[in-house]
Amino acid sequence: MTQSVESSLGRILRARFDSFKKTFYFFTRSPIATIGLGVVIFYILVAIFGPVVLGGNPWKTTQILQFHGVYIYNVPQPPSIYFPFGTTFEGYNLFNGVVKAARIDVGVAAAVVLSGALIGTILGSIAGYKGGVVGEVIMRLTDIFLSIPFLVLAIAFLVILGRNLTIMVVALAIIWWPTYTRIVRGQVLSVRELKYVEASVAAGSSSIRTVMKHIIPNSIYPIFVQVSLDFGNVILTIAALFYLGVGFAGYYTPEWGNLIGLATDLGGGIPAVTQYWWTVTIPGLAILILVVSLNLLGDGLRDVTDPRLRR
Amino acid sequence: MKLYVYIIRRILLLIPVIIGVTVLTFFLSHANLTLLIDGYLGRIRTPAHIAIVKAELHLNMPVYAQYFYYLGNLFTGNWGYLAPTELFDAGTPVFVEFERRFPPTMELALLATALVLVMGLPLGVFSAVKKDRLTDQATRVLAMVGVSIPVFWLGILILIYFGPNSVLPFQLRLLGSGQIPPSYYYVPGTSILEPWVNTKVSGLTQPTGFLLIDTLYYGDVSAFLAGLYTLFWPALTVALTSFALVTRFLRSSMLEVMGQDYVRTARSKGVPEHFVIHKHVRRNALGATTTVMGLFFATLLSGVVVTETVFGWPGMGRWLFSAAIGGDMVSIMATTFIFTIIIVVANLIVDIIYSFLDPRVRLE
Repeated sequence: MTQSVESSLGRILRARFDSFKKTFYFFTRSPIATIGLGVVIFYILVAIFGPVVLGGNPWKTTQILQFHGVYIYNVPQPPSIYFPFGTTFEGYNLFNGVVKAARIDVGVAAAVVLSGALIGTILGSIAGYKGGVVGEVIMRLTDIFLSIPFLVLAIAFLVILGRNLTIMVVALAIIWWPTYTRIVRGQVLSVRELKYVEASVAAGSSSIRTVMKHIIPNSIYPIFVQVSLDFGNVILTIAALFYLGVGFAGYYTPEWGNLIGLATDLGGGIPAVTQYWWTVTIPGLAILILVVSLNLLGDGLRDVTDPRLRR
Repeated sequence: MKLYVYIIRRILLLIPVIIGVTVLTFFLSHANLTLLIDGYLGRIRTPAHIAIVKAELHLNMPVYAQYFYYLGNLFTGNWGYLAPTELFDAGTPVFVEFERRFPPTMELALLATALVLVMGLPLGVFSAVKKDRLTDQATRVLAMVGVSIPVFWLGILILIYFGPNSVLPFQLRLLGSGQIPPSYYYVPGTSILEPWVNTKVSGLTQPTGFLLIDTLYYGDVSAFLAGLYTLFWPALTVALTSFALVTRFLRSSMLEVMGQDYVRTARSKGVPEHFVIHKHVRRNALGATTTVMGLFFATLLSGVVVTETVFGWPGMGRWLFSAAIGGDMVSIMATTFIFTIIIVVANLIVDIIYSFLDPRVRLE
């Protein structure tokens, strides 16, 4: 008895693994998407190990006041062997800041996107499977949240409820769930009509079991695609919030948008940082490279998981 | 369904959305009462004064009564007063500030939308017609970079690389040379505002508040051109970061329509190719594209908020930014509400235009 259960479980796992291997094979056939995946993995590794390797306070950029006996407090140093990315105003080491920023940006974005996707999946499957008044209310709620510009709503939340990490994650998750709800609802509505769902309902499986076992696993791929595309949008929004000065953890937080805002703020306006181009260009490039890679990854995933394109 | 019936129905459907939005803004504006009361009191916060403000704002009443007072004030234009932050005159009615800040934002948003239409729609059509050719690939790269670039960073790059002190060659300093600011209106990237009309001294009024219309109203063509040049750069920044959505969606829906039977029929009966593309394919593909317009407007206005801050454009985005820094809650809630209404109305207009172009949607 137990043996047969194990072997059937093993068969399912092997089938899943084979299907994953096939998907991965199709994915690696696209060199651009593979590059995207590689860069994203590199950023995640930097986010995990970067602050550990650099040491010091992960919430504050390291400050260098003197270099070779010269006082560099207000004269940003160009990129050199000693400072790979140069230094910014008040002697903050940009390499240090950019590396430490990876953890804050990637971490907050991951928390936001994953909680948004989770809430969206739950509400979307309720709205799609149950329908009725509850479904209608959920969909009208998504209408409301989608008609407020996300940056404005995030600023309002952060200023009013307090500028800290938790509020930022909660505020952005509140903004990001409606997209997932809509996607999942659409998926559930189409999967619900399929024969195997009908068969499982006829065999007496409960609603929760049907949704968890048949509907969500078969409508999960569009969520993966949306997660990888949204990850970049969340990072852009976080950077914009920090640039506007509604971030958390203080004025010198190592965050890419904050490093740009720091340079223009301490330098005395945007025209004043023209000679010190690296102070704003390099943190921005860090954002651009990551978000481009995430979008390439998302496009690649979409091409792989859309069977019409695979043929 | 007749067109006017459809329009009325569409407007009625907005009511629950607007009520929902007011519930959300009400919740937010009453979530932090300390900030709200401090905004009215400034530095003097004696218990007696706090009690007066509380009574005036009906904060001692039950929540539902507070909500109805809030709604009443919202619809009668009684939006409260600016908090005494360093950047504003404390005590100015928010509605007056709104009237001053609204036209510049609309000017920027409309110009950006126009740029998207001029730039994004043809690119979408071209990249569908020339699928996988050079145009398509170039558009794809441009769209990819456009959605991935932080708006504020793009604005800063434009200002520092094309600005007066650029490290690039002299010919590329498009935003003025030397120390001369590029317009009469503002100095880019700083908080120095140089209004085109100084209403207090000269006695001139700004009939509409729109820079480009007012300059033409007074017949000052050189100021109009300078204003247009000034406005072009922030509008380009916003357009570059938000056109990708329209272009990519138009491309994929064009490709889908091009596989339809009626397109093949049109081709096989010898209809010229450009006629097929522009009359049969594009019109049908544009219909599907209107479904992403809501997301497009949200992206555009979020971009406008950041771009106004970077370029020092005196619109609502800059107002929101100053209010966020100074903790001026009344202004934040006012701008949130206005931005939402702009998006809702823009979606309504898009839907009405779409139902006018494609009568099929009215049948639902």
